[in-house]
This record gives sequence, C-alpha cells and structure tokens, in this order.
Amino acid sequence: MASKPESAPSPAQGVGPLYRPDGEKPTATVSKEVSFDNVHVLPQTPQLIALLTMIRDKRTSRADFIFYSNRIIRLLVEEGLNHLPVVEQSVTTPVGTAYLGVKFEGKICGVSIMRAGEAMEQGLRDCCRSVRIGKILIQRDEETCMPKLFYDKLPTDIADRWVLLLDPMFATGGSATLAVEVLKERGVPEHRILFLNLIASPSGVAEFAERFPKLRVVTSFIDQGLDEKK
Amino acid sequence: MESISPFYSMSTEVRYSPPWQDLSIIGIAGSSGSGKTSVAMEIVRSLNLPWVVILVMDSFYKTLSPEEHHRAHANDYDFDCPDSIDFDLLVSTLRDLKKGKKASIPVYSFADHQRQPQTTTLYSPRVIILEGILALHDPRIVEMLDVKIFVEADMDVCLGRRILRDVRERGRDIEGIVKQWFDYVKPSYTRFVEPQRSISDIIVPRGIQNKTAIDMVVKHIQRKLQEKSESHTEELHRLGLIAAKVDLPSNVHVLPSTPQFVGMNTILQNPESEQEDFVFYFDRLASILIERALDMTSYVSTKVETPQGNEYLGLHPTGEVSAVAILRGGSCLETALKRSIPDCITGRVLIQTNESNEEPELHYLKLPPRIEEHSTVILMDSQMSSGSAALMAVRVLLDHGVSQDRIVFVTCAAGERGLKRLVAVFPKIHVIVGRIEEEGEPRWIEKRYFGC
Repeated sequence: MASKPESAPSPAQGVGPLYRPDGEKPTATVSKEVSFDNVHVLPQTPQLIALLTMIRDKRTSRADFIFYSNRIIRLLVEEGLNHLPVVEQSVTTPVGTAYLGVKFEGKICGVSIMRAGEAMEQGLRDCCRSVRIGKILIQRDEETCMPKLFYDKLPTDIADRWVLLLDPMFATGGSATLAVEVLKERGVPEHRILFLNLIASPSGVAEFAERFPKLRVVTSFIDQGLDEKK
Repeated sequence: MESISPFYSMSTEVRYSPPWQDLSIIGIAGSSGSGKTSVAMEIVRSLNLPWVVILVMDSFYKTLSPEEHHRAHANDYDFDCPDSIDFDLLVSTLRDLKKGKKASIPVYSFADHQRQPQTTTLYSPRVIILEGILALHDPRIVEMLDVKIFVEADMDVCLGRRILRDVRERGRDIEGIVKQWFDYVKPSYTRFVEPQRSISDIIVPRGIQNKTAIDMVVKHIQRKLQEKSESHTEELHRLGLIAAKVDLPSNVHVLPSTPQFVGMNTILQNPESEQEDFVFYFDRLASILIERALDMTSYVSTKVETPQGNEYLGLHPTGEVSAVAILRGGSCLETALKRSIPDCITGRVLIQTNESNEEPELHYLKLPPRIEEHSTVILMDSQMSSGSAALMAVRVLLDHGVSQDRIVFVTCAAGERGLKRLVAVFPKIHVIVGRIEEEGEPRWIEKRYFGC
C-alpha cells in the first residue's frame, strides 16, 4: 500500500461549454485522468466543478453541504445506472406512434459502507424509489491497524442483484476493498458491483481497479491531494 | 468564429415579429362628456378578446407646479388645451408599443394633479384604443392610428354628463364645474376638439346609443385582426421553411441516448405506465435536463480552503439564475428545477396555441423583477412541436431586456423543424432537448403529468 507519492500537480484547465473558446473559460482544477477501462470519471463540467467547490469549501454550512453533495450523488447514480443492462422494448406512444425504447433489466440494491456511505442513500433513493439498501460497517482494528468487518446487514437475495456500493471518500481504499470481498463472499459476482464515489485518490483507485478488474468505479473527481494527505 | 459558419451568416436575415409588433391603434376623440369612454368600453366588450387595451390620455397629463396645482383646485387651470398633455411621452410610448417593446404607462392622480411614482406596464397588446378629448390632435399620433373616431354629442348633454360624473366620482362642487366648463372646456372644444372632426374616419353621433356605428367599428377591427393573424401564421410557416435547410447547430444540445435516458423515455411514452411512475420518471429525467442547463450559466474561478487546510481552485457560479415556465407545460419541470435550485425565482408566461389556425397567443405574463440583470434565464416547456410558443416566449424575454446568450430553453421533447426554426431566429440562445420527437406531435406530456 506504500504508494509512491506522485507530486505532479492536479491538472488545472479552462472549464466550460465546448462552443466557448478556451481563453473565455474560467480556470479550475479538474479531476486527474486515469487509464483504467473500469474507472469512469464524470464529465468535468463547470457545473460539477462548482458543486465540488461548494462541498470542499470549509465555510460551506452543513445544510448546503448536504444539499450540494446530494446533487453530485444524483449525477453519480445516474451515470452508474447506465452500466446496468437493458433490453429492447417497443411501445406505442400516447399519440399512436411506435417508439423503440428499452426496459430496465435486473434487480438492484444499494450497499452503503457505514457511516459515510449512508450520506449517499438519499441521492440513490431520489433516482431509484424503494431501492433496498444494505449496510456494512468496517472499522480499523486497534491492534492490527487493518480494516475489520464489524457488522453487515444485506438483502438475502443479494447474489441475484446488481450492487451499487456507496462510499463518498476513497483514499487507501481499505474499507472498500474489504466491502467488495464481503459482497463476493455472499455470492455477488464482481462484474455486478458498481462502486459510487465522490472523491478518490489516484493511487488508491488504481490499485482498486487492478485488484477487481471486472468491478466498475464511478467517481466525480480523482484528487492528487488525497495521496499527499494520507 | 461565428462568421465562418454558414448557419450564423444566414441567420441575420431571419427575423420573427410577434403579432404585437403589428399593433393596431384606434383613436377616439370627442368632447368631454360625449361618451368616448362608453364607446371604447363597448368596443372592447364586443370584441371580447384579451389583447385589447384602452389607453386613457388622462394618464399623460403633465405634473402641475405648486402654483398650477393651486389654480387647478380653484377650477382655474385649463385641462382641455393641448399644453396640459405630455404628447412627447405619449408619442414615444406608442412608438415603443408599435415596435413590440414593453412600455410603462404613467399613473396620474386627479387628487394631487401629479404623476405617481408607480407606473403600469403595458406589453403585447394587439389593439390599443387611445381615448381622450385630443386623441386626434397631434399629427405624430394621427400618423400611427389605424382608425380615427370622433364621438359627438349635443353640448347640453355633455355638460349634464360632466356635472354628474364630476360630482359623483371626483367630489367636485357644481359651481366649480360650471365655471371650468365656460372658462376652459367649451372654448377649448371650439379651438382644439372640434377641428379633429374633419380628419376622423368615422363620426359617431349620439355616442353609446349609436349601435350601428359601434358595430361598424368592431367589424373593421375584427377584419384587421384576422389579417394580422393570417400573416403571423404565414410568417411562422415561412420561418419553418427557411430553417429546414440547416443542420442543428452546436448551441442545441440533445441529450445523449444513454440506456437510462432511453429507459426513462420508454416508461414515459408507454401509456400503460402508472401515473405515479410517470411523474417519478418525468421528474428524474427533467432533473438531468436542468443540471445540463446549469452548465450554460456563468462561472468564475475561485480558491477555497478545504476543512483539511488545503487550497482548491474551483468555480463559483456568478449572478442570479431565474426561470420562466411556459404554461402550462413548463410547470411540469418545476419540481426538477427546485431540486437543483430550491429558491429559484420563477416567472410565468401563458401562451396557448389557437387550435383553428395554429397561431400562438400570449395570454398572461409575470416575469421576475430585474430579469434583464440575471446571468441566466431558464425557459422551460415540457414539449415543443412547431416551436411557435417558444419563439414567442423568447421574444417576450428579449423585449424585457434579457440578452439572447443568457437564455437557456429547456424542453423534454422537440420536433426537429421547430428546433431549427427557433435557433435560426435566435442563434445565440442555448437549447437543451431531451429527445427529438415526431413532427407535429400534439402536447400530451403535460396532460399525463397533471392527470388532466
């Protein structure tokens, strides 16, 4: 886990709509890029950066923090859900024309890594009503300094479901790694796990993505700073 | 960069003029007490349309100086001569309205003989009835009038009516009224009012009792309106033909067909979906549209300190974002809007499409105050087919001082021809579209969403 701290600064670039020339876009630090097929970073739109700025600002009030993080979480969930399977479905619209659409396939459930992950449940419920949500409590063992599973409560049929694993901060990834191990033990195939995350560290996410190549990570920002401040 | 694009260079010729840019003004002059107001009211009643406005010239009386004010109270001030009226302001107001802009009409208090600080806003009428003893006096106004009417009545009848009105409604005493009449009203009639008779198109003797004359006027106005409505519909059609030749430009953002997005659209378009599901998935889909619209707002770089003491170079939105819903479809998007901006100031325009000739009609308007200063105005409609309601709504915003590049039009579904027409006329607005729909699709989303 002793990662080589890369000291390259996070990229700062003009953020804004494509039609606007670069010089007219305001500059902001955007997510670091990583080259893993199974790591998906949300498009770094000015709006997303502004939301991230709100939740990072220490002057932001708790109510605002909750509101703005919920908005990012909804974007994450929307992106994450796109990785779920669909089947073609044709419907006749109210105006009598045929529309070739799709139908959502597969049952899902959320699993939040306590307690930070629970903050993401509201955002998940905003997009998926009456979704089942399991819990996993992982804490650092005082003696071994290794993450340890303290408690879990998961749907009994979790092996048949797609799992949206929720944890907003991802630094070393110790808890998330253990949580994935727990899910796999319960019979959830790796490819049916989607890890939804707000801010991740580059080295942590790299290691995680290599360790579980079939699992998919959806994050809004990969931050150099998290490595340096371990 | 814009000038290279064939789309932009072409667009300079494409213009949309809303029906109220072709305003008809009818002037009604006549002696005090001759029944001008009654005739004007009768015309409005017979037309039975929402866009006919009576503009009373009394609103344009000049504010009196303290000395004049004193004289006015002693019935020694001439309110009947042309000097007492601010014709310059009246002319510029009418010119603004003719151009389709909004105008502020002064409010005049007869008690204080003063203009009040507040004004009445007048916007988008198709017919104005300008009523006042000297409505046909100023040649600059006469030039703008479509119909010139002179109402006539026996002078004894006029005096009788004036006494009744001023005693009942304005609390004056009879002696003063009679003094005013013989000192000012009657001489002014001979000098200024009566000469207008010769330039009028229609002279209405016996005022309100003259049903035949009023009927004639009403028929004439109706014919004018019919012509205007036809040319408006034709113009909308012409714009559609021009626009059909171009591709969708880069300021039109059609949301990518991700599996979830298509899935939600499938649920929405499936008549078998439960009402509850329809509302839920509509709100969810609309939230994505609204979040996308907010990418079009303006941001500045900002440095913040994180709770861990790190510095982060981020963005901060600047200025106020407000929204305007095109009723009633646009109000479907309000739940989604409030999810992202809970305290968003939201204005409304009610535009309905006349089913017989497909002409959009502006019925109601309530915009946020100082909307022209807002950094972004999100204009919302659930669906856009021909785009004529959207054209009209954008025009309304422009007339209220909002610049094109600050307008983001958001709609869940739109016809391609309508979209092209909209951006051909307003090339700088941003458009967020959920899905391209069949041409000429009727408005069904709002019915489904509201359940009626």
